[in-house]
Amino acid sequence: MRSRAAAAVLADAGLEAVYNMQGGIAAWEGLIAAGPPESGMAYFGDSAQPQELAMLAWMLEDGSRQFYAGMDVHLQDDNAKKLFQNLAKAEVMHEKTVAELYRGFTKGRAVEDDLPSGRDDIMEGGIKVAEALQWAEGKEVATILEFAIALETNAYDLYLKMERRLDGDAQKVFLRLAEEEKRHLERLAELLEKKV
Amino acid sequence: MGITDYFKPVRSMTAEEARTFMKDKNPDDYNLVDVRQPKEYERGHLAGAKLIPVGELHKRIGELDASKPTITY
Repeated sequence: MRSRAAAAVLADAGLEAVYNMQGGIAAWEGLIAAGPPESGMAYFGDSAQPQELAMLAWMLEDGSRQFYAGMDVHLQDDNAKKLFQNLAKAEVMHEKTVAELYRGFTKGRAVEDDLPSGRDDIMEGGIKVAEALQWAEGKEVATILEFAIALETNAYDLYLKMERRLDGDAQKVFLRLAEEEKRHLERLAELLEKKV
Repeated sequence: MGITDYFKPVRSMTAEEARTFMKDKNPDDYNLVDVRQPKEYERGHLAGAKLIPVGELHKRIGELDASKPTITY
């Protein structure tokens, strides 16, 4: 799952032909690993308007917040619990920031009022929140941390791409969001290093 | 806005396909990247794999030859 996110980053950076090896080292050794929910890398077309980027960012932040908040009850590990609570709070702040951008792009519209109807709650990485929570049930803390690292990697990558599409204050905002996702990533990786 | 437009799949290989792919080639002909944490790498990794933990990928992307095929795990 981390390698899938990594492959998406490398492919996007212009590397010739990038493949993710399914199942990682466990599959290599002939073992069958339990897979994560099907995920895809978020991207957007050349014609995406700034308000669409802001709406996509808001939806992904909202989904991630739901995931982190929902995971709280499943986690036994105190350090992981605390980190996930902090990440859920951070995503709330991101949602507010992005909602503010949306208001600016649309002359005062609320992003919540403009969301497509009948949507599934999707989080960073394009994964459905309900599926992710179901998948995470009973999983080892290291596995869940790996999954969260993949999410944050996708978020970091997405914001860097959005940042390149915008200018002025909006660009600065997405750059700051990217930096914050990177810090989340580092905190998750630090904790994972202790758990593996 | 079609939300499904925003998601694209990543190309993948099974472990068996990767094995065949690498068997027929010189290690200098491809990038094999281990994106796990250093401790995991120490415990065991594929021969010739370069360790770049996923969190360091953006700043170390230049260490990879962009013209060669790349496999991540």
